[in-house]
This record gives sequence, structure tokens and C-alpha cells, in this order.
Amino acid sequence: MIQLPSLSAVAAFIAAALLVRLYFVLPMFGRSSRALSSRRKGKAVARAQANKMLCVVLGSGGHTAEMMRLLQGVDFSRYTRRLYVVSDCDVLSLDQIGLVEGGRSIQNEEYYVGRVPRSRKVGQSWKSTPASFARCLLSVTSLLYNHRPDAILCNGPANCVVVGAVAMLLRIIGIKHIPVIYVESFARVHSLSLSGRILYLLADRFVVQWPGLVRKYPRAEYIPHLV
Amino acid sequence: MAAYVTVGSTGFDELVRTVSTHEFLQALAGRGFSRLVVQCGYSVGLFKPPPTVSETFGITMESFDYTSWPQRLVDQADLIICHAGTGSILEALHSGKPTIAVVNRGLAGNHQNEVASELAAIGYLVVAEPRNLASVVAESTYASLRPYPRADPRPIGEVIDEETLL
Repeated sequence: MIQLPSLSAVAAFIAAALLVRLYFVLPMFGRSSRALSSRRKGKAVARAQANKMLCVVLGSGGHTAEMMRLLQGVDFSRYTRRLYVVSDCDVLSLDQIGLVEGGRSIQNEEYYVGRVPRSRKVGQSWKSTPASFARCLLSVTSLLYNHRPDAILCNGPANCVVVGAVAMLLRIIGIKHIPVIYVESFARVHSLSLSGRILYLLADRFVVQWPGLVRKYPRAEYIPHLV
Repeated sequence: MAAYVTVGSTGFDELVRTVSTHEFLQALAGRGFSRLVVQCGYSVGLFKPPPTVSETFGITMESFDYTSWPQRLVDQADLIICHAGTGSILEALHSGKPTIAVVNRGLAGNHQNEVASELAAIGYLVVAEPRNLASVVAESTYASLRPYPRADPRPIGEVIDEETLL
């Protein structure tokens, strides 16, 4: 009679398989973001027409204003659909989306606004943070699962940590590989924000706007004068 | 010539007080300015220039809390004095006008000051504090600043393209 493998052997095998999977899918183990950057300088990227969806994570005032400037560099004829992730208490970002989308109505075939509970308000007590974080996590998961964007662009609000984590989860379990592009705020000259430090591990591309940060964070790529 | 002072979306008591002092207005008049526009935010009650100063220095003054169209005032200005918030600094630099960024030491743990001093080190703007603003205007180092490069966000589009082509 064939002996069944013991429970601990099965668990060890699954754990090992998971670790191998994580090694291959998580950006922090992968190729250097900067290597890609130098490759970019060498060749022109084909800008084929494509019906892709770009997910844009918006936060509060400063982050949103900067994101609106960054979006000027994105070819909307290639990313014909946009999914904006906005905190449910953030009405100012809705106005900004209206402006960047050329004053079209809030929900049509070209862009969609997903409002999620804020993961952590400025000054919120750390004790109540897990519950609001969980609500935000569920909401973001259903958004990304339902829309399955082709790329995620974020620049620092707390919600981008949740969006980045959910994107990695979808990648690990094999639902979709959604690249995460993080642009650290222009305001960060010498150190990363908390979101930045976490996204440094999760993002496929990590862009900073000041040269000093590349010395501290080698996976980062420095692109000047973006905003 | 016109100077435009802006505190941005909140307020900046010390800056608004400073730009209504005799000392500051004298410095401004000394550099040939004849018009001062001050956007005060919630510090609006604090713009109280001495009553006779308009006649003494020949400066016309205007102040308000918020404006729906700051771009017009930026365009008309020959000097922008803004609080050192990143958003205000970028607006001022993109306008191509000489800029003095005034640091608010009252804000703790504030990274905005880093941006202002870094940009000042390159020579794109001048950094001041409320207490030395009058002398910074009088020295007029703002007149010999380097132009800020035009922003180009297109590389971000290229980065996203690369990732979605993979």
C-alpha cells in the first residue's frame, strides 16, 4: 500500500511552491526598475492603438494636483478607459477628474470613478485603523477584480498601498498581472513617504523626482521635471 | 510693477502680517513696485497696512481671502511671494515669474521646506522667512534667477506603455 505523505510534508511543499511563486511574481525580487529606464532611452516605445484600462489612484489635494499633471503625459487614446480610485470623503478630487476628463459626465463608457472608504484618515488613531483598513481592502479588491485594469498609476496617498497590495494578491493567485507604477511626490526630496517605502517593495516601476533618492533606493528611477 | 502675495488654500498669519508692515512696503516701493495684491486665505483679517502708507510709498493695495482666478493675478505680477507649499511653488515657477517662497517654520515635520531650499540651491527661486522677507525684497536677488524648465510628464506615459507592452 502506498504511504500517504504526512500533513507536514504537504504543508512544506505548498509553502515552498508559494515562495517560488512569490519570488517570480513580486517586483521586489525582480529586475531593476532602473535597468528598464536605461533601456527606454535607447529605443522608442511602440505607441500602438490599444484599448487598455488605466487605474489612477487619487488622494488628497497635493497628491491629486500632481497626479493631474502626470496624467497630461498619458496617451488617453491608448488607455481608452480610466478607473479612478477616490476616497469616499474626497469631493475635490471628483472636480479634478471632471477637469481632466474634459467636463464629461461622471460615469460613461470612458471612465469610471470607484469610491472607496479611506484606509486611514490623517490623524486617525492607530487603534481604529485596522477596521477601516479592512473596509478599504474589500472595496478595492472588488473594484480591481471587477474592472481588471491593465496598469495602475499612483503617487502617494494612503489608498495606493491598499491598491498595490491587492494588485499583488491578484498576481499571486494568477487572476491578472497588473503592473503598478508609483511616482513619489515632488515634495519628497531626501526621504520617501510611508506609502513610498511600502510601494518600493510592491511597485513594478518606482519613479522619484529628485536625484538624491536614487542613491538611497537603487530600484528607483529618477525622472526630472515631470510636474 | 505689481507683486502678488499668496498663502494658498489655508492661511499664513505671519506672512500676511509681514507684508502689511511699514518695513516690507518700504522695501517693495524701493524696488519700484506700485501695486500689491495679497491673497490671505484664513489670515484675511491680518492684512492691516499703516493708513498713510499708500500715499507715502505710492503703492495701491488689494487683499482678499480666496480668488477663483489666481492665474490672472499671477500673469499680471512681476514678483510672486508665495508660501513654500509644493503646489504654490510649482504654480509660481511654471508662470516664469521671479518667486520668493516664504517658509512657515510653524508647521512641524514639513517637507515643503526641503523642496523650497533644494530649488533655491539650484537658483530657481529665493527662500525667505517672514522675519527677513523685507530685506530679501530689498536685496532683489529674485531678479537674477534661472528660468524653471518646462514640465514634461510624457516619460510617465512611456513607463506605463512599457509595462503594458510586456
